[in-house]
Amino acid sequence: MTRYDILICGIGGQGAISLGTVLKLAAIRDGLGVAGAERRGGAQREGVVTSNVRYFEGRGESVSGLIPAAGARMMIAMEPLEALRQALYLNEGSVVVVNDFPLAPVHVRIGQYEYPSRETIYARLQEFTPHLYAFNIDEMSLNHFGSLRQVNTISLGMAFALGNMPVSRDSLLGVIRDRFPDFEANRKAFELGIEAAGKAPPL
Amino acid sequence: MKELALNEPGRTILAMGNDAVVRGGLEAGLGYFSTYPGTPASEIGEGYVSLKEEFPHIHAEFSVNEHVAAHGAQGASWAGVRSMTAMKHVGMNVAAEVLHFAAYTGVNAGFVVVIGSDPGATSSTSEQDDRWYSLHTHLPLLEPADIQEAKDFTKLAFGLSERYDLPVVLNAPSKLCHNIGSLSLGPLPAEFPSAGRFEKDPSRYINLFAGSVANHRRAMENAARLAAGAPSHGLNRVIPGTGPLGFISSSVNFLYLMEALAILGITDAPVMKLGMTYPLNTGEIAAFAKGLERIIIVEDLEGFLEFQIKSALYGAGVTVPIEGKSIFPPFGELDVDLIVRLLAERLKKPLPKAMSRSIELAAKHTADIPPRQGSFCIGCPHRATLYSVVKATGRNAVFAGDIGCYTLSCLPPFSAFDWVTCMNCGVGIGQGIRQVMKEGDMIAYVGDSTFFHSGVPGLINAIQQGASMVLMVLDNKWVAMTGHQPSPTTETDVDGRKLNPVDIKGLLKSIGIKYVRTVDPFNIKAATAAIKEALRQKEGVRVIIAEAECALQYGRRLRYEKPGYEVYYQIEPGICQKCDECYVHFGCPAIRRGEKGGAHYYYIEEASCLNCGACRDLCPNSAISRVEIKRGGKKEKAS
Repeated sequence: MTRYDILICGIGGQGAISLGTVLKLAAIRDGLGVAGAERRGGAQREGVVTSNVRYFEGRGESVSGLIPAAGARMMIAMEPLEALRQALYLNEGSVVVVNDFPLAPVHVRIGQYEYPSRETIYARLQEFTPHLYAFNIDEMSLNHFGSLRQVNTISLGMAFALGNMPVSRDSLLGVIRDRFPDFEANRKAFELGIEAAGKAPPL
Repeated sequence: MKELALNEPGRTILAMGNDAVVRGGLEAGLGYFSTYPGTPASEIGEGYVSLKEEFPHIHAEFSVNEHVAAHGAQGASWAGVRSMTAMKHVGMNVAAEVLHFAAYTGVNAGFVVVIGSDPGATSSTSEQDDRWYSLHTHLPLLEPADIQEAKDFTKLAFGLSERYDLPVVLNAPSKLCHNIGSLSLGPLPAEFPSAGRFEKDPSRYINLFAGSVANHRRAMENAARLAAGAPSHGLNRVIPGTGPLGFISSSVNFLYLMEALAILGITDAPVMKLGMTYPLNTGEIAAFAKGLERIIIVEDLEGFLEFQIKSALYGAGVTVPIEGKSIFPPFGELDVDLIVRLLAERLKKPLPKAMSRSIELAAKHTADIPPRQGSFCIGCPHRATLYSVVKATGRNAVFAGDIGCYTLSCLPPFSAFDWVTCMNCGVGIGQGIRQVMKEGDMIAYVGDSTFFHSGVPGLINAIQQGASMVLMVLDNKWVAMTGHQPSPTTETDVDGRKLNPVDIKGLLKSIGIKYVRTVDPFNIKAATAAIKEALRQKEGVRVIIAEAECALQYGRRLRYEKPGYEVYYQIEPGICQKCDECYVHFGCPAIRRGEKGGAHYYYIEEASCLNCGACRDLCPNSAISRVEIKRGGKKEKAS
């Protein structure tokens, strides 16, 4: 491995930046170089948020925080429309994990735009890459844990299972244990993500 | 112990660009820090304030504005203590008067000014390039490229400042301030000298007449000494190459350029990376230019490097074609993709196949999708206030906008906000318009922190000149938009500590405002009535203080003080008329649209709702109910 780029995309308040931080801290544990840039959407709710995670080898090396077009090996999308919005960064080999739980932007609420159908969004994404995996992770989290708190840990497990990432399971779980409450639920959520990913063929 | 405070040289931690600046100050033995929060530099202040336990001798403060912050840091440096002030790029306009004297007087201990710049205006009202200031302040300018350099250059800046008797500016764009990556720590000093004393020295500190001219001269000579000093001071370097085309770049753009060259397969081009971009060492640049057939300069915004380098090489008698802003736009933010595309065009190189495929597909498939704009947070008092403003005015007024979270009032569903430029542009511009526009209503907005930053003089002017307007003071008790730093009206910190808030109502009365009303924004009916009543009074400035704490901070405090009951709000499906008042016109993100059996319905997402209650107040059909339960008990309808 010389580079491995992960793009996380979502909406302000969904935890895209925190998930990026988990992936970056795991790299420090594994002795990898890591860089990244965040788009914070003016720190506001509901806006577009992305987190770039770039792994590289060699501590002396330096790379910019931004993933170039067609550069992402992995995309973790917390919302279907947001996956499509960032599709520029996908290539034919990119793996995409999408939380299949659409959230209407303000312009859809006020009737200026229509939210594209699921079929449209996924058909378009499939033109970029065949490795597209969509799960209703909100529903999984509610069913298994009774809350939405585990959504991002489930998606992390899925990405880990599908993406052949250079960071280890132990490091990811170690970071989660050190940073977040209720480790047992998070560990289960991570395993649940791995298990669900193993069963699902790409769309 | 917090990782930033560890004295473990060589250890690698994960850090944000702003954290790296904080660490650089610690490694340099900083004793004084002041800032007015502004994205993207806000976390520098948060860093020092959060380290008060580990470094109790460092004075760290959120000042009332950048002018005051810069004066404070200048004073500490005069008194012999290493000092730093940090601000966003437009803060430099506020601090500019202070900093135009800073080179005249020089320093008695390292004085570093950190600027968080914002090419692309991702969180600002302007993308001005502060680097140009150095041409008239004569303050040396460092531009780190990555997180490691952000720390290393900060530390180095203190030494340069002392050696050349000049404050030093460190300029980092948002794409470095907010980047998060690995940082290798250096050693912390054994002692932090933080006790100083002021030594009188009239020739330096009394800037009058001939003394001022002498200090101007000394400032310029100091800058010239720095430019001609030890080549590069370890800040500049050349990546060698044998090709006839050379590149010069600085800041994060250097890394973008290196990646772009790799993507385009250009492997033989020499690249000069400038870490110090003012003053330039002409000899160093002339040596790099020698033998090259062409130089391309890669930088953000209006061509600060290009301007200086062309002038320097002309003066040195070196003639080589130089391009920069003829290729790259002088506005907006550069990134790897843009550099790749524009260089490919100019050098007639093909784009890699995978990249052009994705660019074509994205153009076809992502151009028509709905945008996703930011919105007020769930439970935000500003949403409720703006809803009342719209109800009270029917948008039939001039809305004097200003800077803060409430700037989002310009967006749907509210769209009741007519301008935003700099801090306190609301009352300031509004009172001018009012002198020539005699008819109609005007509503001006100002947040608590913005008001204290520089709003008081404009308001006094408006009172004295008899400008007619309703001023809405949106007092949410925090500098919320930059990440919740305390404002002068903050009453209680999130951990429960009581602070000494300024009595904003008392202040308004004392400067001569006779009409002041305080409203609870979540009480929509009362707030709407109060705004209507204030509009009926036509004379002078009438003030409504919409007072409610930022919902995020209030929510954070609930972790410490849990009430004995829980509250839920619910939309009753049988009563809801789907009139869209809450979902569209109030636009709270916790109110969601679901579908069942081909029909839509609205519901409140319980996990997201912060129980502000405004939706219940504004529902015309009384379809939203409040449920109160004792902890561990059963849900019961309370009303």
